[in-house]
Amino acid sequence: MADTMGHSATANRNTSVVISFCLLAIAPQIFEFIWSFGTMFGWGAGRGPAAVVIGHGTALLAGGPGALLGAVGGDTKKASSDVLLALIYSYPIFAVAILTIFMTIRSAQDYVGGIALLALALFALWASSDLQGMRGFSFGAGTAPRMFGGLLVALGAGIALTGLLTDGPAMAHYAWRGPLFVMASIVFFALAIRPLGVVVTAFASFMIAAMGTHETRWVEAVIVGACLTLGCALLFPYVLGLPMPMFPRFLVQ
Amino acid sequence: MFDIFHNLGLGFGVVFQISWWSPWWLYGASLPISINILMCLIGALVGTLVGVLPGIGTVATVAMLLPITFGLPPIGALIMLAGIYYGAQYGGSTTSILVNIPGEATSVVTAIDGHQMAKQGRAGPALAIAAIGSFFAGCVATVLIAVLGAPLTKLALAFGPAEYFSLMVLGLIFAVVLAKGSVLKAIAMIVFGLMLSMVGSDIETGASRMAFNIPELADGLGFATVAMGVFGFAEIIRNLDAGAEMNRDLVQQKITGLMPTRKDLIDSAPAILRGTVLGSILGILPGGGAVIASFASYTLEKKIAKNPSRFGRGAIEGVAAPESANNAAAQTSFIPLLTLGIPPNAVMALMVGAMTIHGIVPGPQVMQKQPELVWGMIASMWIGNLMLIIINLPLVGIWVRLLRVPYRLMFPSIVIFCAIGIYSVNNAPVDVILAGVFGLVGYWLIKHDFEPAPLLLGMVLGPLMEENLRRALLISRGDWSVFLTRPLSAVLLAIAAFLLVLTVLPALRAKRDEVFTESEN
Amino acid sequence: MTFIRALTGACAAALTSLCTFIAPAEAQTYPTRSITMVVPFAAGGPTDVVARIVTAHMAQTLGQSIIIENVVGAGGTTATTRAARAANDGYTLITGHMGTHAASVPLYPKLAYHPEKDFEPIALLAGTPILILARKDFPPKDLKEFVAYVKANSEKVNAAHAGVGSVSHVSCELLHSILDVKPVGVPFNGTGPAMNALVAGQVDYMCDQIVNAVPQINAGTIKAYAIATPERNPSLPNVPTTAEAGLPKFQAQAWNAMFAPKGTSAAIVASLNAAASKALDDETVRKRLLELGSVIPGPAERTPEALASLVKNEIAKWTPVLKPAT
Repeated sequence: MADTMGHSATANRNTSVVISFCLLAIAPQIFEFIWSFGTMFGWGAGRGPAAVVIGHGTALLAGGPGALLGAVGGDTKKASSDVLLALIYSYPIFAVAILTIFMTIRSAQDYVGGIALLALALFALWASSDLQGMRGFSFGAGTAPRMFGGLLVALGAGIALTGLLTDGPAMAHYAWRGPLFVMASIVFFALAIRPLGVVVTAFASFMIAAMGTHETRWVEAVIVGACLTLGCALLFPYVLGLPMPMFPRFLVQ
Repeated sequence: MFDIFHNLGLGFGVVFQISWWSPWWLYGASLPISINILMCLIGALVGTLVGVLPGIGTVATVAMLLPITFGLPPIGALIMLAGIYYGAQYGGSTTSILVNIPGEATSVVTAIDGHQMAKQGRAGPALAIAAIGSFFAGCVATVLIAVLGAPLTKLALAFGPAEYFSLMVLGLIFAVVLAKGSVLKAIAMIVFGLMLSMVGSDIETGASRMAFNIPELADGLGFATVAMGVFGFAEIIRNLDAGAEMNRDLVQQKITGLMPTRKDLIDSAPAILRGTVLGSILGILPGGGAVIASFASYTLEKKIAKNPSRFGRGAIEGVAAPESANNAAAQTSFIPLLTLGIPPNAVMALMVGAMTIHGIVPGPQVMQKQPELVWGMIASMWIGNLMLIIINLPLVGIWVRLLRVPYRLMFPSIVIFCAIGIYSVNNAPVDVILAGVFGLVGYWLIKHDFEPAPLLLGMVLGPLMEENLRRALLISRGDWSVFLTRPLSAVLLAIAAFLLVLTVLPALRAKRDEVFTESEN
Repeated sequence: MTFIRALTGACAAALTSLCTFIAPAEAQTYPTRSITMVVPFAAGGPTDVVARIVTAHMAQTLGQSIIIENVVGAGGTTATTRAARAANDGYTLITGHMGTHAASVPLYPKLAYHPEKDFEPIALLAGTPILILARKDFPPKDLKEFVAYVKANSEKVNAAHAGVGSVSHVSCELLHSILDVKPVGVPFNGTGPAMNALVAGQVDYMCDQIVNAVPQINAGTIKAYAIATPERNPSLPNVPTTAEAGLPKFQAQAWNAMFAPKGTSAAIVASLNAAASKALDDETVRKRLLELGSVIPGPAERTPEALASLVKNEIAKWTPVLKPAT
């Protein structure tokens, strides 16, 4: 208690944790919002951005009171999936975020890890909420997901609790360069392999991945990348007989 | 006893059958060659290659190569496919040890201690002991198939849904025991893995679960996708963290001997023996037997070790035992196929397909009706194992040299190999992106000190556990007591409970010391 | 590996050039390059085996190689969707079966294709009879007793099947709807595990294709009550037909047939049909299909029109049986 400096640091840390929890609480909604722009250009199926905003907005704001009123009034009308998402996933996480303000986190690593698992479990519970439950003695499609989802909620909460009760490591440091370029390389590979073929895709992905570290020496990387591409182009389609395109589609035709 | 020698003689006779080859460039002269030995060699080589390449699984390869075997004589074709199958078991440990990427579910545990050994500069001994253990296990299991194949079949039939469910519970407890850190976190990871395994269509109703209408998720998440992500990509991303170069350079300087020392051999001999026994027994069980065998043998070694804290930090027994177990299991899993004609796993199902195309439909009488085929295959297994150790021991030197390649060149190469491998499984670009996402998940897990091995085990065993639980309850009409009234099932559950108590008790008394001393490098 | 593949490729190419050289220019214009045959199941499965045997002979007739592409997933519907959307130039074909081109309609409400509207039927290739099988110590001795026993004990008996939408699942649903019973269906992950459970006596009975069952029946590890075809099968001469044994209504066959995407020209369909029909008349092809227990369609059943009406009838037959089940 005497260490006021330390205390204010914890408080600071708490604010950022709380904000990140709030973001986590509406992460699926944000994801669908971003995704909905893609649907405007015709790839992927889903609702338009306006519909997403309205659907989730009303669900988040009016879903709770509505459900409460419905429960009081004995209204058993099936709630929409947006409302369910708000009820099952977003509200509990907001609640956790609010609770976090008043907590002293002794091990941020455990606390945040536990809450993230909890969020994941809640999300899974929402995702399996449309599945059938027990039918007499036989399991429905949704029984096992709900069972394990519930268990994971408990375990996540337990881990978060250890983070509050026992001392442990704080949040680890995250690098951004490695994850960013490795992911970019993987995503590029996935998008390019069909239209562009092994040769172009493998080389380009190699170079993108190589940007992931400052140690890279470019001349060396280009040479190794070219050799690797050649090796892959011989190994996978010919020696192993995997069916994959070699060259860009527009060049072949 | 005489029968066995007679049969084995028949088998070796088939394998060594000599045919005369007179190519035009010899101008009339002939060379004696044995087609079946050649097939065995090709199979072993392809299998090793497939095992070493991350992502490309045995099932996919056998499926791809199946059409080529249609032009071959049936015995040659089956010998080759069998060679690919156990060749991949040998090769699978290589990537686990060198770059922490398990290619098959059975080599997940090998990665735990094997990769730690590699980090300490002992990749050579790890690879060598994996090959030696596999060879020993393969030889023992082959003899076992020849001598006890028929009586052991009963074991495969004694396991009903209730027994399988209990076995899966036991398997998940193994996953808790093998975790290094907090028990709570290990259990959470298993349940996370179970949740992931539920994605896809439900076995009983066909309903789509948590697939969000993504067609690529309709059949669930692939093992390769998740394993490449949480092990392979996550490891790469972690190694790119600032400050990690130091550790990596250190690893490259530390590389010591290539072959195991005398002490290594003495340490691992009993582990290999125990692994072989466990693997041989569990391998007979159709579905998941080999995976559980590798986890079970690791758990056993950790539990009976004088100093269990060595495990997870490069204990050679942690490589020797699971590698012996998975190879023994790979061999004994042929028993149900050869004695009942029922394929116990996906690779075997493809081999049945190969037989069917050649007009042989395997059944309980295949041993009487096709003795050349059955005994030829059994004999070829031993020869295949011999070839594999001859192929693999010299390769150790090459693999270890590969570790000296600077990481700045190595990691983009691994990314490309993994991406191509994952893509090739289903020709699905979405799988590659999913693996990338699991890479980020894995990175996050490392940062929060969660272990990926229990997650993978949960994912592999999850469907088996759920299906068998549901089957058992359907058959018993919802009566949960079947798990306790059936003796085999009760014994398995009792072992599971005992192990859990053994693991949880010290954890309850005091949060494990290891959590604090653990500094993940 | 690839040496073998390259060698066969070279041979095929040589053969092709020879054929195109010999054949009159106006007769053979359609296959100018290799044809892809999509098989919606894993290599080595019953559908795959039939497709391979027939296409191997068809390739000789057409003078072009036919490449089999196995695409697995979602009970074969993934591959069928892909084939339905492929270019209708005759270079992408599919070997479908009872599940993908009939039972899928009631089973998957969100099916992305319709077997009748999205495909041009080419030819029926083979039928695989379905048997009623039981564990060896199941009390009933013949089909009549079986029917009575299942009706009397429908709460107690367990029927195994190889997963929702599999042949064993849908055919047993048909049997149950005829008997008007709803016993517990125990799902397994494929025919292998289901057969294992039947041999081990963990489940009571199942309906399955003849291929997997013959060796087990001959060895006495399981027993067969009846075969659901009009005639007895040469590989199991002692097993009576359902008509003989007193349940004539239960007729079911797992059939395999070849389809092209909708809009494929009639000339291409005709040449493919002729090639398929020629393959089914070939002595070696017939022998190998018969070894598998398959029933080879007669000339009248091989026409595209006959296949179109078969698909229509099968959809009509399975829809009422499977609709309430899902």
